[in-house]
Amino acid sequence: MAPERTNTMWDHEFDVVRREKLFRHPPTDRSAYPALQAAVDPHIQSFNALFRSDDSPGLIDHALAEIGTKTFLDGDERAAPRGKNKLTVRYKSVTLQRAQLPPSNKFAKRREIFPAECRERHVTYRGKLTAVLEYRVNDGEPHEFVRELGPMPIMVKSNKCHLQNNSPALLVERKEESEELGGYFIINGIEKIIRMLLVNRRNFPLAIIRPSFTNRGPAYTPYGIIVRSVRPDETSQTNVLHYLTDGNVTFRFSWRKNEYLVPVMMILKALIETNDREIFEGLVGPPKSKGVENTFLTDRVELLLRTYKTYGLYSKSQTRAYLGEKFRVVLGVDDTLSDYDVGTEFLRKIVLVHLGCVDVTEEQGGDKFKMLLFMCRKLYALVSGDFTIDNPDAVQNQEILLGGFLYGQIVKERLEDLLSVSLKLALRDYLRRNPTISFISSTFAKDFPISIFRKTNENIGTALEYFMSTGNLVSPTGLDLQQTSGFTVVAEKLNFLRFISHFRMVHRGSFFAQLKTTTVRKLLPESWGFLCPVHTPDGSPCGLLSHLAHKCKIVTEPTNVSAVPRIAFELGTVDFSSAATSESVVVMLDGKILGWCTPKRCKMMADTLRHWKAEGGHGVPPQLEIGYVPPSNGGSYPGLYMSSSASRMIRPVKYLALGKEDFVGPQEQPYMSIACADNEIIPGVSTHVEFDPTNILSILANMTPFSDFNQSPRNMYQCQMGKQTMGTPATALRHRTDNKLYRIQTPQTPIVRAPLHNTYGFDNFPNGTNAVVAVISYTGYDMDDAMIINKSAHERGFGHGTIYKVKKISLKDDSRSRSAKMVTKMFGFAPNSTIKDSVYNQLDADGLPHVGRLVREGDVLCAWHTVSADYNGQLINRDGITHWERYKDSEVAFIEEVRVIGSETGNEPLQTVSIKLRVPRSPVIGDKFSSRHGQKGVCSQKWPAIDMPFSETGIQPDVIINPHAFPSRMTIGMFVESLAGKSGALHGLAQDSTPFKFNEEHTAGDYFGHQLMKAGYNYHGNEPMYSGITGEEFAVDIYIGVVYYQRLRHMVNDKYQVRTTGPVVPTTGQPIKGRKKGGGVRVGEMERDALIAHGTAFLLQDRLLNCSDYSKSWICRTCGSFLSVQPTVSPFIGKKKAVSTVRCRNCATRLDQIEDLDLMKMEGEVWEDGQGAQWIGGENTTQVVVPGALKFLDVELAAMGVKLKYRLDKKDAIRRGPLRPRALKPLQNGVTVA
Amino acid sequence: MSREQYQIPTGNSQPSYGSAAGATAFERRDFGVDNSNTTMYYTCGDCAVRVPLEKGAPIRCQKCGARVLYKERTKRMVQFEAR
Repeated sequence: MAPERTNTMWDHEFDVVRREKLFRHPPTDRSAYPALQAAVDPHIQSFNALFRSDDSPGLIDHALAEIGTKTFLDGDERAAPRGKNKLTVRYKSVTLQRAQLPPSNKFAKRREIFPAECRERHVTYRGKLTAVLEYRVNDGEPHEFVRELGPMPIMVKSNKCHLQNNSPALLVERKEESEELGGYFIINGIEKIIRMLLVNRRNFPLAIIRPSFTNRGPAYTPYGIIVRSVRPDETSQTNVLHYLTDGNVTFRFSWRKNEYLVPVMMILKALIETNDREIFEGLVGPPKSKGVENTFLTDRVELLLRTYKTYGLYSKSQTRAYLGEKFRVVLGVDDTLSDYDVGTEFLRKIVLVHLGCVDVTEEQGGDKFKMLLFMCRKLYALVSGDFTIDNPDAVQNQEILLGGFLYGQIVKERLEDLLSVSLKLALRDYLRRNPTISFISSTFAKDFPISIFRKTNENIGTALEYFMSTGNLVSPTGLDLQQTSGFTVVAEKLNFLRFISHFRMVHRGSFFAQLKTTTVRKLLPESWGFLCPVHTPDGSPCGLLSHLAHKCKIVTEPTNVSAVPRIAFELGTVDFSSAATSESVVVMLDGKILGWCTPKRCKMMADTLRHWKAEGGHGVPPQLEIGYVPPSNGGSYPGLYMSSSASRMIRPVKYLALGKEDFVGPQEQPYMSIACADNEIIPGVSTHVEFDPTNILSILANMTPFSDFNQSPRNMYQCQMGKQTMGTPATALRHRTDNKLYRIQTPQTPIVRAPLHNTYGFDNFPNGTNAVVAVISYTGYDMDDAMIINKSAHERGFGHGTIYKVKKISLKDDSRSRSAKMVTKMFGFAPNSTIKDSVYNQLDADGLPHVGRLVREGDVLCAWHTVSADYNGQLINRDGITHWERYKDSEVAFIEEVRVIGSETGNEPLQTVSIKLRVPRSPVIGDKFSSRHGQKGVCSQKWPAIDMPFSETGIQPDVIINPHAFPSRMTIGMFVESLAGKSGALHGLAQDSTPFKFNEEHTAGDYFGHQLMKAGYNYHGNEPMYSGITGEEFAVDIYIGVVYYQRLRHMVNDKYQVRTTGPVVPTTGQPIKGRKKGGGVRVGEMERDALIAHGTAFLLQDRLLNCSDYSKSWICRTCGSFLSVQPTVSPFIGKKKAVSTVRCRNCATRLDQIEDLDLMKMEGEVWEDGQGAQWIGGENTTQVVVPGALKFLDVELAAMGVKLKYRLDKKDAIRRGPLRPRALKPLQNGVTVA
Repeated sequence: MSREQYQIPTGNSQPSYGSAAGATAFERRDFGVDNSNTTMYYTCGDCAVRVPLEKGAPIRCQKCGARVLYKERTKRMVQFEAR
């Protein structure tokens, strides 16, 4: 009998034995946690779509077809193309190899490079990208050649990764987690992921009112129709229709970051051979239909047709030639094409590309024509006010740009650039240098692929690596995106929750982050079930950075819908239509108009398709989205919009009619009736029901126990804090080289948890400790969210953590030039150098530290020296100087590992080491902890166990929190968790904490209260407790229970900032900013205000002067200037440091400038300046204390010609007006008469 | 002899430093460091074999050609005050 397959079903139980077995013997067939892999799948599958492993064409193959053939001509550039030789080049295929060692490495037994090695060696996990190209000269024999396009980063666990489909046992053997997820790239040893972006829904004309549209020109209105049209290779081209005040319509597109406007009529006429009547009837409807009665529409269509007459273009060929002539330069097509062909190329490349972008047939042209007419019709309907706009911020009108697809777009653009720009330039350069050579000559045949391609910039792989490591998109076209940076993020393994969240993260785009309006951030009901309402950060990214609901999937490949057009036809679509939506509505599949039918028939069609879709068979795939928009009064434009394409979000719900699973998309959901729970089903109305109400929450939000009891912002805070917890980031810690890794030493599995905790295997990466928590105001040290930790609990290891830091020390300089490949430095002591014994003892003979040693601030981490090659190539040291790398942090650490890293070729001496340091971090006062309910607190005391309160069973709390933490925050879930945890601990039960399980009839308090009663405890969770200090019983019973506590990564040791004196800014003399540099905390305006208000002048002076830019400086009392004083120089005493006398140069007189000098008559001492000139006078100087900033201001103003004069004496104070004696008039009747 | 200088005698102890720490330290200071042909042992990251490497030798496992080696834990006594 075959061994049983690994069980993948989980409930909320502890399953200790089962987990232990899984951990000791990782399964060899499949992972026990498939849900975890499914969470990451959109990333991996989107990457797999680039190069498919089966024979079906991948995205890159589609892209190559779209790029097509590039033609080049020889001879003089300015001459006409006639008589020139033609060279055509095209890509035949592009392939990506797995990561392998270069052939120059002769030593390795195994040729593959695994991701773990890339992490350990701090290099990029990448494989060779190769292109097969083909060229023909004058349409002759095709010649094939191969070019290497550089190493391209590979996604881990994709179909180009060695880890694809590896069993957990094999993964462990390859130094990965047993549940390695993949989905990220390894760039310089750092794990990076491409963020998922929300973009406009593809191939669907969105009706939009945007005030900025009026800026396009004088007649432009805010009305527009936007369609983001996506090619089969997942690149997109946005087309916009603008409504003009007079009723005209313009077609706008952007090409290589420039915008162009074309009358829509011109495009309509160019697409197919048509006439005005056809266009009129296509927009308004056939004669005698209701559409003709719509005079608003007919007036405008008439104007549309009439104004176009000025162009005088009537036939398709005329129009295409006209377009071709205008856009020849813009498109950069080759000279051999006729204007008509360029026009065709224009339509292929730009107009509604989803309906055909390679070898566009007559029929596809017709599809584009019909679609464009529909868009015009929708635009007119929007303007007339019959219908409302489509909200581009709602998930309904959005889809997700997946990382792999974006990656493919970049690859495609680079490939196209290589041929149409880089190769063109290289050829032009070649022909200019060798004007006599033509394409048919033998020298060219010798030079062509190799030496000419060498001049091109064909290193696509490095460009991709740059993209991955910086997240910056360097692109001539902009890829139809609104941002150029912030595409990638580091997948931090702070703890596992944070790591997994990165893959479920959806960003709205950094463009929207700068927007002042908050509309884009709103939580809209359309997001229900697709984006988690809880899991979004507070603060600046709020609402822009959301996370997928845990059951939400993303379609990564188009589904087969070849049968759907036929079904639609059989269900009654017709080819003609009227503008009146009461008469005919559109039936559309992936942006292609299948036909039109009456609204009634449309509803029937949608229902039938839905039933067949859920049932299976009938040629309707389960992933098809049937966006039926019913007719309404002033609502969205009705129709049946089906989509089968990739990048859509879908989620499973139960189809009531069949009791089967049905997938629902965001476009159809707002028009469906999906009950949340079975008891909410309304017969005759509800068509679907949720499988579980928790399906709307993200993975993390599901981990909050009893989250339905909490006030909602607290659940948001928990989603934040869950990601900042010190936990277990990974189990393959030995093979990880993350810059910083937080780990907790004694984690536990939570007693209170949801079944999803096990489904996602979070017990492999535990995050906190079950703590006995008493809610009591006991010592006074628990005010304002402080918490007290039982000192004995701390001593038993409660919350003890460790930080692993990795220092990479490389002797290579980062420059990529060839000469830098030389070895110039080596690790170790320089021969014959003298070294202090204390330093020597810190290192081994190889110049590296002992593994296990304790290092303190200033200790030596490693030694190196310079080398150069002698006459027979031996590397020797000549200067005899040993250099040191020192440990600079103030905390003690231990050397955990020292990794000696060789080169890929295996023949280089030691140039790079990576030292892993372990910093122990036991909890100290000031460290931050939190429960799972957004209740964070700072440890304020480690209270001795003897003084802790105790209960009647002798239980002491591990943690004391203040009751004031609850009334305003209303985290009732924490109380329930406390109850559940207590009874779970007493009975040895794992408690299911899934939200929405309890209700008013069957309350959580009652359920867990009875469990407590069975264990002999108070039903309410209160217990009589006794003071640990006096031994007296408290007047009230104390609420005590077991709550899962997390230790957050914010620790005082990383944050404390203290300074008396220290580094200062040289210009002002004020303390510098920044904790790292030993700077100070700013006493800002508000702090200053508070000090003034308190009247604490002395403190104020201390803060703002004495501890800041206190400076004693000399000033001249007479002229009141800091700038004119100078110390005297004695001609006899050499360089004396201490300044004896300071004189004012301004008030003094230079002796040699005094006429008829008579020293006897002069008063005062003669002094000498630095130049040896003798002066007399200027003695009235003094020393004052002023802020350094004041002197700086003085100097700055002096530079602008403004003099500051300081009055040092009262008598120098300014007097208003001349001093005039004033006679007082005598008093008259006791009143002064003025 | 201080605690840190003490070294447990092992089979493959290198002659460069060790047994008589005081004397060698004194000599070393006189003549400078000469470690031109010291051999250190590392552990291969792939096959866990002990790899002897001389100074300046290419970094790879002699057995499997792996490019990441770990430094062995020190043979010196490592003792810390537990606080």
